[in-house]
Amino acid sequence: MSEMIQKPDSNAFFSVQDIHSYYGESYIVQGVSFEIAEREIVALLGRNGAGKTSTLRTIARAHEPFLKKGKIVLNGMPLHQLEAHQAAQIGVQLVPEDRRIIGGATVEENLILAQIAKPIGWSFEQIYEHFPRLAERRKQQATTLSGGEQQMLAVARALARDLKLLLLDEPYEGLAPIIVREIERILLEVKKLGITTIIVEQNAVAALKLADRAIILDTGLVAFDGSAQEVLDNKELREEYLAI
Amino acid sequence: MVNQIFLQIVTGLQLGAIYVLIALGLTLIFGTLGVVNFTHGALFMLGAFSAVIISGNYGFVAAIIIVPPFLFFFGVLMERFIVRFFYDRPHTDQILVTFGFAIVIQETLKWIFGSNNIPFKMPAWGRGILKLHEYVPFLDGFVAYPKWRFILITVSFFTVIALFALLQFTRFGMVIRAGMNDSEILSFLGINITRRFTLVFGLGSMIAGLAGVFAGPVTNVDPGLGMFYLVPSFLVVVIGGMGSLPGAVLASFLLGMAQSFTVSFAGLQAIVVYIVAVVVLLFMPRGLLGKKGVLD
Repeated sequence: MSEMIQKPDSNAFFSVQDIHSYYGESYIVQGVSFEIAEREIVALLGRNGAGKTSTLRTIARAHEPFLKKGKIVLNGMPLHQLEAHQAAQIGVQLVPEDRRIIGGATVEENLILAQIAKPIGWSFEQIYEHFPRLAERRKQQATTLSGGEQQMLAVARALARDLKLLLLDEPYEGLAPIIVREIERILLEVKKLGITTIIVEQNAVAALKLADRAIILDTGLVAFDGSAQEVLDNKELREEYLAI
Repeated sequence: MVNQIFLQIVTGLQLGAIYVLIALGLTLIFGTLGVVNFTHGALFMLGAFSAVIISGNYGFVAAIIIVPPFLFFFGVLMERFIVRFFYDRPHTDQILVTFGFAIVIQETLKWIFGSNNIPFKMPAWGRGILKLHEYVPFLDGFVAYPKWRFILITVSFFTVIALFALLQFTRFGMVIRAGMNDSEILSFLGINITRRFTLVFGLGSMIAGLAGVFAGPVTNVDPGLGMFYLVPSFLVVVIGGMGSLPGAVLASFLLGMAQSFTVSFAGLQAIVVYIVAVVVLLFMPRGLLGKKGVLD
């Protein structure tokens, strides 16, 4: 199915055009292309090692994996020519796998750090209003928060910036089911804000609840691009690429 | 007896003060950039040479004003044009290139100034001795100590305070501390951490320059100076815990004291820093205040 998706030039709000990226010598993302409309939420699915996290990190312009070829365009801006901090300044926000809460800093300092570079998004008042738990713990060392609270902080940190594209990498990973439901509630609220989002998740069913559309990666290539409902309805597709 | 112990403590403090001034920059650069900078001793030496020349021509105050900023810019250029290309390379490559650059600096200084010690004239206000028995009640008889060495301890003390204040209480410091933990996440938050790290390299070099200005008058100023202090200051960083600033301060004074208290045993004094290093690392492989994961 991989040959069916090839859109070289695009006017979409966000597009990834034939990107190839490497971790050292390992060829991980092997020509991924897709488009996302403004305000759309896309679940990026696939088995372990399919290149989901690598695709997100390439979009966020991380140092690794290294983008060797291809274009990434957000709102007309060529992301592929930028470094991570520049990508973040034009509105890309990656909430990374394992949340990457900054150690040795309080909850509030984590949020301050998110607003050092301009342009900024939500004020602290807005953040604390939406995340009362973080308000209670604002002076606490951030790494002492529970997994769920750390995930809230990671999402809040992204909202503290003026964001146009939210990249969520495994937001439910390692969380107890009851906490997953809480994060789900927060992400549904974020969805209402109309932020264009790509969500990578092992828990495909949970991701599809949020998403309008699903893209399935397989060995570094797009294997499926269609509606979220289609994936939920198509048992063969799920078995072949998602093992569910 | 009391007099002697007191003097040895002061000597230990003074030796520690030199180590602190050199090791602070070294551990700061390692902790933030992850670079093992073997040029650091040479930067200290460059500071001492610049200080002795400037001080000879324009006075010591001019050296205090000019040398640290000069070393700051030297460090910034060094990071920008050499070190930056080695961030992703193994520590061994970093050591080779910075060690090589240290030799370039050393040989250049030798070429220009020759191999002999250049006498460093202290300013008038720093000469002479302090009669300690006039200030410290429990000392009896006549106990004196060179005034300059107290100035050195004082400068070292305030440099430590200033650096800690910069890191703890300013926004720049908050970014740097966060960058020591996870620089990538800061770049995802829009912060140009590379630019901050260049400044940190400059800052570390600037402290080495300051060390050169104030330690120059009590050490030899010759082209062997950099290498002479390189090894003990590295031991300080390792004993303190790679990248730990409080660890570097603690280890500096530990080594200073160890050397001071073995002064009567010439052979032992030469090797005591290594004995301390072996003992500490045997029982605390990450150093006194080293955190897990710095080298992982």
